[in-house]
Amino acid sequence: MSGQKKKNFQIEAFKHRVMVDPKYAEKTWKILEHAIQEIYNHNASGLSFEELYRNAYNMVLHKFGEKLYSGLVTTMTSHLSDISKSIEAAQGELFLEELNRKWLDHNKALQMIRDILMYMDRTFIPSTHKTPVHELGLNLWRDVVIHSCKTQIRLQDTLLELVHRERNGEVINRGLMRSIIKMLMDLGSSVYQDDFEQHFLEVSANFYGLESQQYIESCDCGDYLKKAERRLNEEMERVSHYLDARSLEKITNVVEKEMIENHMHRLVHMENSGLVNMLVNDKYDDLGRKYNLFRRVANGGLLIVRDVMTSYIRDTGKQLVTDPERLKDPVDFVQRLLDLKDKYDKIISLAFNNDKTFQNALNSSFEYFINLNARSPEFISLFVDDKLRKGLKGVSEEDVEVVLDKVMMLFRYLQEKDVFEKYYKQHLAKRLLAGKTVSDDAERSLIVKLKTECGYQFTSKLEGMFTDMKTSQDTMQGFHESLGAELGDSPSLTVQVLTTGSWPTQPSATCNLPAEILGVCEKFRSYYLGTHTGRRLSWQTNMGTADLKAIFGKGQKHELNVSTYQMCVLMLFNNADRLSYKEIEQATEIPASDLKRCLQSLACARVKSVLRKEPIGRDIAEDDAFSVNDKFSSKLYKVRISTVAAQRESEPENQETRQRVEEDRKPQIEAAIVRIMKSRRVLDHNNIVAEVIKQLQSRFLPNPVVIKKRIESLIEREFLERDKNDRKLYRYLA
Amino acid sequence: MHKLGRGHRDKLQQFMTITGASEKSALQTLKASDWHLEGAFDVFYSQPQSKSFTDSRHLEELFNRYKDPYSDMILVDGITLLCNDIQVDPQDIVMLVVSWHMKAATMCEFSKQEFIGGLQGLGIDSLEKFCEKIPFMRMELKDDQKFREIYNFAFGWAKEKGQKSLALDTAIGMWQLLFAEKQWPLVDHWCQFLQARHNKAISRDTWSQLLEFARTVDPALTNYDAEGAWPYLIDEFVEYLNENGIIQNVQLNDLSQKR
Repeated sequence: MSGQKKKNFQIEAFKHRVMVDPKYAEKTWKILEHAIQEIYNHNASGLSFEELYRNAYNMVLHKFGEKLYSGLVTTMTSHLSDISKSIEAAQGELFLEELNRKWLDHNKALQMIRDILMYMDRTFIPSTHKTPVHELGLNLWRDVVIHSCKTQIRLQDTLLELVHRERNGEVINRGLMRSIIKMLMDLGSSVYQDDFEQHFLEVSANFYGLESQQYIESCDCGDYLKKAERRLNEEMERVSHYLDARSLEKITNVVEKEMIENHMHRLVHMENSGLVNMLVNDKYDDLGRKYNLFRRVANGGLLIVRDVMTSYIRDTGKQLVTDPERLKDPVDFVQRLLDLKDKYDKIISLAFNNDKTFQNALNSSFEYFINLNARSPEFISLFVDDKLRKGLKGVSEEDVEVVLDKVMMLFRYLQEKDVFEKYYKQHLAKRLLAGKTVSDDAERSLIVKLKTECGYQFTSKLEGMFTDMKTSQDTMQGFHESLGAELGDSPSLTVQVLTTGSWPTQPSATCNLPAEILGVCEKFRSYYLGTHTGRRLSWQTNMGTADLKAIFGKGQKHELNVSTYQMCVLMLFNNADRLSYKEIEQATEIPASDLKRCLQSLACARVKSVLRKEPIGRDIAEDDAFSVNDKFSSKLYKVRISTVAAQRESEPENQETRQRVEEDRKPQIEAAIVRIMKSRRVLDHNNIVAEVIKQLQSRFLPNPVVIKKRIESLIEREFLERDKNDRKLYRYLA
Repeated sequence: MHKLGRGHRDKLQQFMTITGASEKSALQTLKASDWHLEGAFDVFYSQPQSKSFTDSRHLEELFNRYKDPYSDMILVDGITLLCNDIQVDPQDIVMLVVSWHMKAATMCEFSKQEFIGGLQGLGIDSLEKFCEKIPFMRMELKDDQKFREIYNFAFGWAKEKGQKSLALDTAIGMWQLLFAEKQWPLVDHWCQFLQARHNKAISRDTWSQLLEFARTVDPALTNYDAEGAWPYLIDEFVEYLNENGIIQNVQLNDLSQKR
């Protein structure tokens, strides 16, 4: 605006001054009051929002906000009182509906009122720190309607009763419930909690307390758990349908406590249907349910299940390993152990969600009872022997791996792995020498697994055995090639050259080989020593086998597969019809116990035996006479007599092996002690013992008393000394 | 001397006899320790001993008197004669103390060096002086520290030359002797136990640790600590005592794991 004369722009007051009318405020208020009433009477459509808003606006503007506000409070309160009375008057079922309806009405009304009074809401109220309209409306509703003495209690009771009825199977009006609950929540979380939730939880606790008591008296465990699960699901559903989400955890805790936690022991130990029964009968569903329910109990739910399961497995295992009947058949023994493991693996995976703590409990139980039987290592080796001899015949490669892996798993539980090694070596030697292994690959696969588990030292000798077998093959080839012509009619000889360190030590015994054999043996010896200087060969006559072609009295022709000892004995009968035990002993010079055993298998076998003994009977006396059994017969042309298969040791043999193992352990313990002391220089007794155990535990568990003795031996040999002032301290002497 | 009371005079006499000190130094020492004999001994021995003069010719003569005709050593006969001369039983434990002073390598024989050196150290060059020294040597056994030294010395001395361990019979004999001096109630049980259960030679470690055991663990074994790193043989002994009801309620290790 340029170039215009400046005019004084005056603001003139309105001609009509609102303030002049003293009754202005009153009048305006009356309008609004009337409007509020109409709103409550569902007559809002006749009102002009704009006019009312303006009126309210003006009141505030002209400093009548206080009047407006207090008027609002009064009006609303009086309306709500009426409403409250009408709600109280409602009969029976209609109470809740009436309440709900009135609440919805109130909300609508409140909305409208708030809109009308929005200016006051935004200006007067904040500046005077009064409660905003909406909130005011809710508070008044709460105080006047809900917390009227009658309504408050009635509301609580009604709600709880509906829940109760629903729990008893009735269908209730969930929508109504939801609405009412939402109302409580809208009124404030403390209202919801104090007026409803707290009582709801209390009542539920009582309800479930009673119900669980009833069920537990009348149901078996499986049924009880099903019921508990059902109730739990019900409550969850209830919450999702008409309760506040934050109540979920609280109510589930109540159910868990009343139905599960309070009865945990009883459920687990219930006769004929408790945990043990479920385990024995592979009741996967019940077990799974039990697991899931007990898992919910924070303090110790699963602990009980796990503990009971652990002690049951331990007892079962213990019975298995100490039952004298079971100990007669090692292969069966081990198979049963494997079956037991399989069973529980399955339970843990199907029902216990592969829970690691349960796996660990299972493992520790197995470790516990497998080692209760000192012969477990031997038996496991025999099991493997059986599988590798015949058990795995025709089995696919993957299945072979499965079996071997299972064996490895049992192996891991063993505390005395060095005992296993000893037996395994013996059995392997027998298998290799007799050519009785089903699958070379399976053998090697197991060696690899053992190596992975225990390190190179464990398997180096075993591998040496395989190498010897291979080398011997090559040697034989060379032997035949260079001396083939010379050998001609001599018996065909196959030699396995065994490196002494790798194979289980056997004291070599005397034995006079028949002349026919001696010749070719000598030829081999000179051939071998010709190509390998600086070595010594000694014939292990107690480990060999021979195939003899025999013609019996009636012309039966058979090929007999016998041990070397047996061959020596039988060859005698080429030159004599009848020989006494004494004569046989003198001629062969085989040690007495071996000779007796070998004669027993030749002459006293249940099936028709090759030799006849007089007098008949298992015991062999000096003068017993032996002769060829002319009536010998067999369906097969090739007959196997030798008893070279690995068997469980007799008691004295077992003792002997044990002793050898103990002897072997001494240097290992000493080596460990020296190693430890060399690096630590000074160490006290208890720590040495702990360190030694730690170092050796992958092979065996050293006995602290033995360790002490070894320490004393080392003191005597001046590797260590005691500290002069502290007896418990040892010093390394360089 | 006359100013002293009867009691003090007796003490003075005793002190002089045992230590071989002069009257003047004896008086001094006793006064300094307020006339307590034990204290006086402590004081006296902690002083550097004035080396009493020994005549080496006399010592040579003594040695020749006892030495074996065919070797330059005093052997069994010589020792018997010596014991006779000083009026001491050859089995008397004081002979062990003598051997200790001589640092004798083996029992029942003294080399020339051992004999002469030992006697010189003791300030002996005649049989009279030897006899005078006997009570002193007996007193030495009462001293804990010296007893321990003598005890440990005894092991090397009593064992066969070239052996590492001490034969059981000899050990038992030695223990009987030594523990007659230093009372140990369990000595008989110990010897019985060894004969019944052990029947092998005794190692040096076991020997020396036994003294510790006798000194520190009370005869009712109330303060026996199974974790105390006692030699294995001693642990077995405790178990033996428990098994045979000689001592009740002993806290044992799990010695049941025998093999």
